[in-house]
Formats: sequence, structure tokens, C-alpha cells
Amino acid sequence: MEDSAIKTLRMMLLIRAFETALAKRRDHGFQLLSTGEEAVAVGLCSALDEKDQLLTGGRSIGPALARGVDPNRLLAELLGKATGTNRGKGGRGHLADLESGFFGAHAVVGGNISIAAGVALARKLEGKGGMVAILFGDGACGAGGLHETLNIAAIWKLPLLFVCNNNQLSVSAARADVLAPKKLSDIGTGFGLPSRTIDGMDVETVAQAANEAAQTIRQGGGPVFLEFLSLRFAAHSTTARETRGPDELAEIKTHCPIRRQMARLREAGVIDAAVEEALEKQAQARVAEAFAFADASPYPALTEVLTDVG
Amino acid sequence: MSDNSIPIVKRMFFREAIAKAVREEMTANPRVFIMGQDVGAFGGSYREFDGLFAEFGAERVRDTPVAEAATIGIGVGAAAAGYRPLVSITYMDFMMLGFDALINYGAKSRYKTGGQLTSPVVVKTTAGALGQGVAHSQCIESWLMSVPGLKVVAPSTPADAYGLMKTALRAEGPVVYIDHKRLFPIPGDVPMEETAIPFGQAVVHRAGLDVTITSHSFMVRVAMEAAKKLEEAGISSEVIDLRSLAPLDMETVAASVGRTGFLVTLEEGQTTCGVGVEVAAQLYERIGARPWARVGALRAPVSSNPVLEPACLPDAARVVQAVHRLLGR
Repeated sequence: MEDSAIKTLRMMLLIRAFETALAKRRDHGFQLLSTGEEAVAVGLCSALDEKDQLLTGGRSIGPALARGVDPNRLLAELLGKATGTNRGKGGRGHLADLESGFFGAHAVVGGNISIAAGVALARKLEGKGGMVAILFGDGACGAGGLHETLNIAAIWKLPLLFVCNNNQLSVSAARADVLAPKKLSDIGTGFGLPSRTIDGMDVETVAQAANEAAQTIRQGGGPVFLEFLSLRFAAHSTTARETRGPDELAEIKTHCPIRRQMARLREAGVIDAAVEEALEKQAQARVAEAFAFADASPYPALTEVLTDVG
Repeated sequence: MSDNSIPIVKRMFFREAIAKAVREEMTANPRVFIMGQDVGAFGGSYREFDGLFAEFGAERVRDTPVAEAATIGIGVGAAAAGYRPLVSITYMDFMMLGFDALINYGAKSRYKTGGQLTSPVVVKTTAGALGQGVAHSQCIESWLMSVPGLKVVAPSTPADAYGLMKTALRAEGPVVYIDHKRLFPIPGDVPMEETAIPFGQAVVHRAGLDVTITSHSFMVRVAMEAAKKLEEAGISSEVIDLRSLAPLDMETVAASVGRTGFLVTLEEGQTTCGVGVEVAAQLYERIGARPWARVGALRAPVSSNPVLEPACLPDAARVVQAVHRLLGR
């Protein structure tokens, strides 16, 4: 329990430090951060093993790190460097690292959901086990791709975990203003999937729900739908206008999933202030290493513009 | 011919030629499977998968709901994960529903992942007008030709349907294979020996001296009809069936126009940003200016109305007229 708890905390701290440092840079255009939503990515990935694949929407940095993608190559990719996971050619929104079980992101909202079902179908046809998780935002719940895919996944009993990270906002639109279902997990219920709405700000709750869902899927029970309620601490992107006022944002940040997990582990006597500080410093050092690697890496040769096209 | 001799060719319809190609590829490669509406026991809307459901079963011949976006997406995803799905989209117009998966993901997957994966999916669809109205009649192949990473083929004979489908099911990246409704009732000789036709090879259907007419799919027959009429008027036409639109075989076109000196491009779709525009532009880049006329549908939707549909579409008379005007005789 102690090791995995520390590991979980370490990963959330890495994501936070990575994204915080990235937000300070201006040489990457913009990024979609998941600060505040670390528990969803880390809790979900605790349920996936090496035969599994994770696909995501465009908000993919945290999930990629949680899945075990090398921070050096991930950052290099975001900065357009040849040493990146996609040789610098995918960039934000299209990160992929198959060897880490991160099949990849697709930056069109809802667009990766049917792709993930295809990967799940391949797993099922192979018959060697392995499942697929597709992580998408509440914004994708209004898109047709989700509903079409849920229907087919249910009929074909695909080994597919639908994970809605409901951070309550699609760019500026509040979830309640643009999505009719009372709970977003009701969308899964409508297609007969085991579906739950869960606190996405508590990493242990997320992990438990994800592991239970994975077990159902691995036993051949077909797809499962999980909605995690989370809070986005930053604007839609690093260059998008913030739509919430300072008071609201300050209140939102009191729900920090990292602080919450630290408090729990302190109470349980697993960590103390010194360990916390050490873990934070280690995360920052790891991020500094990633920046050193990415900054020292070259941009792709210009001939790369025409390689791997067709 | 002795009783035990093997025929070199067999006369068959498009649907039979397609089923032959798909059957052979499914037999050779267990990773090839079919998915789409009405492809199972029904055998495909045009019976182009007849017998395959009985032979390969529901796992490999998968009926889907009416959900083109997800169907193409699942096909692309399964392809990216190592399979070779043939996704049947009944009418080409419906492909628009799946463009994100096909174009934003499938066609770009190899590039955007730095070569980590490719999406060898074949989207098989049917283009062209046959009384089905504005949303079931279109020829939008030129839209697809502009997408880097996407291959597009459109045969005009059962033999080419067979050979191009075989290549499609072995290709590296996504392929759009286009049939035409008006071609289905027309039989042709198909080689009995396994033969794949490489992409990027046009074929000269009729040799001629005075003008080159390029076309593809059903319009090749219209071009041939026009060539016959032009012959009576003393004009000798060379008719080229492009077959493969992406990649295009410009060598064959340039060699022909280099000899005839005149180009007429013919297509059933729109001429604006059409296949003909691309052929003419690439020809110009290769051999410089040659007089050119383009023939295609009028700039209007294709109605199911029995008099407005033919009024919109190119026919042999329009091709003949275009050639006379171009040649000044």
C-alpha cells in the first residue's frame, strides 16, 4: 500500500510540475493542461497493464505521463523536437507512444472514441486479452461519435472502458448549459453499460472504480462507462481566456487532488512534511531533466516534412 | 479446348469480381475482415459480398448499425491496431460522416505518429447517379485526391475492380475504392489467375491520334461512346482510363497528349477543383500548355427527377461537342 501510494503521489506531482513548467514557456504555441485533473489520469492508469492501450482526446499530457511515457521524449514532442515520441511531427493533441501502451491522442473532440473501439475490436479479434481505455472530456458527450460508438461497443461487447473526465467546461460553455443528461454516466446507462459517476478529485476513489471496471471488462463483460467529476484549474488552453472569476478559481483550487492525497497519507503516517518536500523536489528535478533533454534536442531535418506521408 | 483446361478469363459482373478479390485476400490473410451495413447474410447492397458471410462467419463479415462515422472510425482504429478492415459505405455521399476518422486520423496516422503506425483500411463505396437524388448520387473523389496519405481508385471494368481491390487490401495506408452504380449490370472478362493491379497505372482503352480524353469509372464508357461518334466525324480519339486517381499516372497521360496535342477531361462529378483540373494542371507542369476542355456535371445538385438528372450529367453528346469546339473542327 505504501509503495503504490507513494508512486501515485509521485506521478501526480510529476504531472503538476511538468505542466506548470510548460505553462511558463512561450515557444510551443499553446498547450491544453490538466492541472487539477491529475487524479483522473493517474487513478485510471493504475488499472491498465502492459497489454492495454490508452487513447485520449487532446488534453493528453497528464494521461501520457501517467501511462508511463518518458517525460523527456514527451516534452521534446511538445516542443517539436526530433527526439519526441512522434519525432516531433504529432505535437500537442497527437501524442502517441505505442510501446508505453499510449496509443495516442486525437485532438478532434470525440474523434478518438471510435478509433479506440477499433483498437478494442483488434484486441478482441486477436483473443489474447488486453483492453482499451478511451479518455474524453465532457465536451465529447455532445458529439455523435460517442453515441454511435457506445452502441456498437455494447452490441459487440468490446473490451473498452469509456472514461469521461467531466471537468465541467468545454472551453467556456458550462456543462449544464450544453449537455442535457442529468449525469453524464446516464449516457452509458442508456446503452446498457455498467455506468457510474465518481469523484474524480480523489485518486484512490478513481483507481478503485477504474480497477473494478477493468475487471468487468477483462472477464468479458463488455464495455463500461465511468464519469469522473473533476475541476480544471487553468483555462481551456494556455492561450485561452479564463472565463471564471478569481474568487471562483480560488475556491476550485481548494479541491486540489494532490493536497488531498498528501493529507490522507500524512494522516495515515505514510509521509511527513520532509517526505512531501523531497517528493516535490524530485518531481521538479525530473522536469528540469526533461527540459534539458528537449532543449538540447534538434528540430527535425527539413526532409522530414515529406517522410511517412503515404 | 480440352475438358480439364483452366479458362484464362471468366466473364463476370462487378459484384462477382469484387467478391473474388475479397475472398482471395480474406483467405490469404486472416487479418482482412469486412464491416458495414447489410454486408452479412444479405451479401451487400449490391450483392458484392455474396457468399462471404457463409464462408467466413460473423466475426469476419460484420454487420454494423447505420453509423457511418463510427463504422469508419472503428475500421481505421482496427487498421491502426494491425488489422485490414474493408469498410463498406453504401453510398459515397455518406462518407462525409466519417471524414474525421478517415482524413484527420487514418490518412495522417503514419505521419503524425512519426511512423509508429499506419491505418491500412479500405473504404469501399459506390458513387454516381441512378435516380437516387441529391444525397445519394455524388462523385466526390476529387475532394479525397487532395488529402496527403490517402489513395483513391475507381475502376471501370470488372477486371480492374478485381485487380485494384486486391491491391487495396494489401496497401500500406488507407484506400478509398469507388464503384459506380451504373457499372454493376455490365459484365466483363476477369482473369482467373490471381492478379493484382498496381495503383498509379492508367490504361489506354482506345488508341487515337487527334485528341486525348481522360476519364475514370462509368464515364470511361461515355468517353468510348463519344470516341465512336467522333470517329464518324473523322476525329480519332485516344481514351485513357485513369483507374487510380491518387496516385495519378501522369506519364501515360503526358505521353498521349504529347502525341495528340489536345486534352479533354471527363468526369461525372463537379469540374470545379475536379479530377480534370488536377490532370490538366499536372500535365501543364510536365509538358507545358496544351489546349484543354473539361466536361463534368453542371454546377447543380444531381436530382432524382427523371429529366433533371440526365440534364445535369455529362453524356457523349457533350463530350463530342467539347472536342469539336476544342479542335475547331
